[in-house]
Amino acid sequence: MDTPTINPKNVYYPPGGILMWIIIFLELFTFGIALIFMTISGRQEPEVFHASRILLNPTFGAINTIFLLTSGFFMARTVQLLKEKNIHRASFFLKLTMLGGVLFLILKGLEYWDKIEAGLILSYNTFFTYYWMLTLFHVVHVVVGLIILWTVLHSMSRNPQNLELEDVEASAAFWHMCDLIWLLLFPIIYLIY
Amino acid sequence: MKNTFFITWVFLMLFTLTSAFMAGSNFQYVALAILGLAFLKFMAVAFYFMELKRANSFWQTSLVLFLLVFMTIILIV
Repeated sequence: MDTPTINPKNVYYPPGGILMWIIIFLELFTFGIALIFMTISGRQEPEVFHASRILLNPTFGAINTIFLLTSGFFMARTVQLLKEKNIHRASFFLKLTMLGGVLFLILKGLEYWDKIEAGLILSYNTFFTYYWMLTLFHVVHVVVGLIILWTVLHSMSRNPQNLELEDVEASAAFWHMCDLIWLLLFPIIYLIY
Repeated sequence: MKNTFFITWVFLMLFTLTSAFMAGSNFQYVALAILGLAFLKFMAVAFYFMELKRANSFWQTSLVLFLLVFMTIILIV
């Protein structure tokens, strides 16, 4: 495996690469603006938003936060182990990272099923329009992140000599971005009444 | 580094559980407290898990500014 020595203090080489960080900022701006509009709508329809938030299950949200953050911890360890050229353990930690993402998706699926059964669909009211749009858009990112991690795992097990640390760091940055977005969504959608 | 990641994870778990429990309380500044904890969690993930602490100050400052502006707007509107 190639481990090039790049100085991350150089503005053009943040950990994960400059292109990934441009994507991260664009995603954060997109979700941030949508959450600001959701908060403005909440000011215009406070009763609707309050009554709708009560219908959400913050325990699901908290457990999903734990799944994603634990998965992020395993991802950070994966990158660290790769830097130490311990590919066998890195591969194990990457599998744990992916397990965290899969558990997140399973719980999200249960939550969605619960909402659909109760008739709380996209068109139910303004709150649920934001809820579905924002959380589904985030789920798409988690699915894309899992596909990226699967390709990294595949390279790690089949072709470790061609694995570039920079590519793994970029994949890790994308995965952590899913954590960052969720850390904005969770308090504003689930917790703040 | 292994310990730094683990300590960061422990703090993230504590902050997550604290914010989940606080959400049910009638404490006057609950929104501010929950957003404050979210700010700390966001910074912990970015600076430790994503290793932004090793990056150029441009990226560090940009992310902190983004989050401060975002949370200020959320609290004002």
